[in-house]
Amino acid sequence: MSSFFTYWGESNQLGNYYVKRILSALFTLFLIATITFFMMHALPGGPFSRERALPAAVEAALNAKYNLDAPLLVQYTDYMWGLIRFDLGPSFRHLGRTVQGLIATGFPISAKIGILSVLAILVFGLPLGIISALKQNRPADYMVMFLATLGVTIPSFVIATVFLYVFSGLLGWVPAFGLTKFSSYIGPVIALSGYSLSFVTRLTRSSMLEVLSQDYIRTARANGIPEWKVLYKHALKNALIPVVTYVGPMIAAVLTGSFVVERIFSIGGIGRYFVDSVGTRDYTMIMGITIFYAALYIIMVLLVDIAYSFIDPRIRLGKKMED
Amino acid sequence: MTKKDFEFIDSSKKLDKEQIRPSLKYWEDVWRRLKKNKLAMVGIIGIVLITLTAIFGPLLTRYTYYEQRNEFINTPPVLQIYQIEEDAYIYLTKQYYLLLVTEKGELVERLEETSSNTTLRLKTYDYLGEEILINYTYKFSTDPAYKNIDFSVTYKDVETFEKTKSVLNRTYPFGSDSLGRDVMTRVMYGARISLTVALVATIVNLLIGVTYGAISGLEGGKIDNVMMRIVDIINSIPLLLYVILLMVWLNNRGLWTIIITLGSVYWVGMARLVRGQVLSLKNQEFVLAARMLGVSKTKIIYRHLVPNAMGSIIVAMTMMIPTAVFTESFLSFIGLGVSAPQASWGTLASDALGGLTNYPYQLFFPAFAIALTMLAFNFLGDGLRTALDPRLRKG
Repeated sequence: MSSFFTYWGESNQLGNYYVKRILSALFTLFLIATITFFMMHALPGGPFSRERALPAAVEAALNAKYNLDAPLLVQYTDYMWGLIRFDLGPSFRHLGRTVQGLIATGFPISAKIGILSVLAILVFGLPLGIISALKQNRPADYMVMFLATLGVTIPSFVIATVFLYVFSGLLGWVPAFGLTKFSSYIGPVIALSGYSLSFVTRLTRSSMLEVLSQDYIRTARANGIPEWKVLYKHALKNALIPVVTYVGPMIAAVLTGSFVVERIFSIGGIGRYFVDSVGTRDYTMIMGITIFYAALYIIMVLLVDIAYSFIDPRIRLGKKMED
Repeated sequence: MTKKDFEFIDSSKKLDKEQIRPSLKYWEDVWRRLKKNKLAMVGIIGIVLITLTAIFGPLLTRYTYYEQRNEFINTPPVLQIYQIEEDAYIYLTKQYYLLLVTEKGELVERLEETSSNTTLRLKTYDYLGEEILINYTYKFSTDPAYKNIDFSVTYKDVETFEKTKSVLNRTYPFGSDSLGRDVMTRVMYGARISLTVALVATIVNLLIGVTYGAISGLEGGKIDNVMMRIVDIINSIPLLLYVILLMVWLNNRGLWTIIITLGSVYWVGMARLVRGQVLSLKNQEFVLAARMLGVSKTKIIYRHLVPNAMGSIIVAMTMMIPTAVFTESFLSFIGLGVSAPQASWGTLASDALGGLTNYPYQLFFPAFAIALTMLAFNFLGDGLRTALDPRLRKG
């Protein structure tokens, strides 16, 4: 009986945890949308006031068409209502196109590079970090750490431009722009994953080193457990916890990193649209993409958190550890 | 045991058998351990050098960061020169401007172009009444014999294919940019902007973060809860997006816009850190004692709690400065940086992007400066973290 109640109690707590997380994610999103909306609307001048002034009647007609003459609160509720239906309004610069339409065109392209980059980070970052920890203070370790240090010190736009200059300009191995061939993915993925890859490598290494110096590892070894089992079953599992925590910021880095990478490699993804819309002050685009990015980020972090709560039970039971 | 087994000794001869290590204050101890860390020392030296260059460098050069010289645009740091007279050398830029150069590599003047035939790919220039003919058909020649030759110089009916020698550019050691400005001066001036932005933004972050975190931690209860929920919300936004949004919103490309923007966004991490430290400190006896004596909360925060949390705050600060340099260069790169003619490393790199194929050096120097700064601060930060880590504080 008592175990039955504990079970229910725990699962209730579990359910509570997820419900709480999802609600707070929704609230955050709402807040972001609101702040973004009012920030963009507090800007002096409307989207149709340019250096060369339009006739007053034309501007008024345009404002009426885009509902910009309504009171701010009406516009706000309209916008939020549209948001619920995934309607982000028309773009002010890409004439005749909606923001959600542009996002729908650009996002699959960005997502491809983003997913490849995340894969690259995990596939290369984790093993390199582990190797480096196991071969501490040996040439392999120095080599990996040297590269990882370079990776966090060189900005992505430098990596991207140098890559283009060498492999496209001098050697002609990869196309200079666009994503026409498989080889054209290499550059963007390197530039996009460079920083996070190096960071994950460093993090894995230091966390692995710390775990390996713990008493329970010594005990496991003293008990005669095979070395590979000690490493992979006992050490790695615990060493990966801080790395999993980094996944959230990593997503942010990959998302926002695509701004410059897409610009340099002339890839028509959503990051490119964002940078362009910042340049041309296309307010609905800026607003729409910001909200889209924020939503994407929040959803990803939420998923990671939920996954994390399965790995580390301390979290889901509400005993949130202090940083 | 009788009394005679004991003897009085002279009190002045009293031996202090216990070997006591000299007592070190906290920061002395940290410094002692930091000094042992070679990389951290390299980092410190690097930071000092970069800072000195930023402060004094622009004062020592012959040029200002905005001075343009149209006749010497896009000259690289290394010049391939051709001798035409005893003491007269020429250098042909990638844009086919012919420059008169001394043997040491000082740029003298741009020679006037007298005629240009783009079909035959011939250009003539005037040197003291004599004609210099440049034939650049070789650049487009498919003949393997001319594979590495771009052009020939004909002067007084003698055609030369081989450069006389390569010299360093004495007029512009790092080359000049597309408007004929000295890249070295601009990189040093860019250091001023980039470092100022990073430093001031970090200090702003520090002030907001420390105050916020300390209040949240010290007050506890509901206030703490609300304050930390706000931090959680801010933390769940990709901050760079907000930096960009703020920059667009403020719509002013001044130095201060960037500083305010960076300063007002990245304090969250610091706030969390300080709160954690305060939580672990606030129940200790010295805080209790201070409270008993009626010390105000502000004073408890700034006299008792913050100094004790200083170690981790400083580590966070050294890590924040390179992040700010990075973010600033990133912003400049997507066109939200300081406006011309001012330049930060990010704007310099961004400007260099267009001419990368022909003038890679224009990107190299600012990029190298960014990497160097990042490296120096990272080394110092890692070293400080190790030096301050209580688990590693033995002997």
